[in-house]
Amino acid sequence: MQKGSNAYTFLFALIVCVVCSFSISFVSEGLKSKKELNVSLDIKKNILKAVVLREAPEAGIESEALLSLYKEKIEEWVVDAEGNIVEGKKPDDLKEGDDAYPLYVYKEGQETVAYCFPISGKGLWSTLYGYFALEPDAMTVRGVTFYKHGETPGLGAEIEKDWFLDNYKGKKIWDKREKLLKPVAVVKGKVADFISKDQADFYVDGISGATITSKGVTALVANWVNIYEPFLGKIRKN
Amino acid sequence: MGQILSKKDQKIVKDGVWESNPVTLQVLGICSALAVTVQLKTALVMCGALTFVLCFSNVIISLLRNLIPSKIRIIIQLAVISSLVILADQFLKAYMYDVSKQLSVFVGLIITNCIVMGRAEAFAMQNPPGKSFLDGLGNGLGYSLVLILVGTAREILGSGTLLGFPVVPQIMYDWGYVNCGLMVLAPGAFFLLGIIIWIQRAISGYVEKN
Repeated sequence: MQKGSNAYTFLFALIVCVVCSFSISFVSEGLKSKKELNVSLDIKKNILKAVVLREAPEAGIESEALLSLYKEKIEEWVVDAEGNIVEGKKPDDLKEGDDAYPLYVYKEGQETVAYCFPISGKGLWSTLYGYFALEPDAMTVRGVTFYKHGETPGLGAEIEKDWFLDNYKGKKIWDKREKLLKPVAVVKGKVADFISKDQADFYVDGISGATITSKGVTALVANWVNIYEPFLGKIRKN
Repeated sequence: MGQILSKKDQKIVKDGVWESNPVTLQVLGICSALAVTVQLKTALVMCGALTFVLCFSNVIISLLRNLIPSKIRIIIQLAVISSLVILADQFLKAYMYDVSKQLSVFVGLIITNCIVMGRAEAFAMQNPPGKSFLDGLGNGLGYSLVLILVGTAREILGSGTLLGFPVVPQIMYDWGYVNCGLMVLAPGAFFLLGIIIWIQRAISGYVEKN
């Protein structure tokens, strides 16, 4: 076969493609279990971070210590769309399209300290994934984390930074006087400059240069708070 | 060094690090040099990943150099480079998960780093694998040298730490010292990079032709 011919070119391209894709899938499969373990550990770490344990896990905590801490403190529940707890089901059993949602409950002994659920939605470039934790009163935000996103470092990626997440602590999703759901929204700019004092509990400071990411965060928090509202409403009444 | 590498081979490595440093003289790979140098640790991992990709893409392209049809040579180079980058990314995800999360898209963006394709096209297509490996190593080290300098300066000035350990004593903060916020942002890296390019060119005596 002549080197300049079309047939040679096609054959060469084909061989290169096949070899490349085989080697990539081989390595990817080989490392799969290790990668999945990392991801699941990271998720557990984020749940622990969102519920803000009384004794926060140390920064360099070993994976085994982390797992045992998680097992000891966190109960895994499943709630359905009407807000009832589904007995005998774990978040791991849920399939896509199920009308039921995972709920992580942080307990110290018998006492419930926080409810935590996953949140996700579109930012600017990517889907954002995180956790949202509420105090037992089902009104006050205990903590928020984002653990996976592809936003611009320095701009949208600020959503995973402590200064932004700490904004949420102590904010409310429920207006007691109006008896209305007001999932915490992100302001464009500073809350103090734009929102009247009596409404400041329902807003957090925005990220400059990341308007669309901020809007995405507002929308996804509202979306998931509404999904869990049937359950949250029940505890709130009690 | 002298026993292992001949004078000529040494020059190939030295060229990449100093005489034609990809960052300071050719001004390539600036995007990642700005993005991953807020902390030294991410900068080091990025250097490792880039040097790995550069060395092996050079070797593979050089092995194939007489077989690659010239019509599709750029595409073939890209296929080889992207595969290597994905491999590096997979290993980071499996063994250095935290760092790989911080680096996020920038590992993937090694594919578009001009240094890698530049060396494949300019060197590996004309030279045997051994020399190409050394050229990759030299350029990788040259890139690393600049990133490490920028990363060290940015972490110390911007966060008061080095590799996560505090280096600015507490007493300085008590006296009113404040970390330089500019260094955490991309413009800080621009200034540093500019200064490094200036110093390097002043020493090596490089002048751009008009």
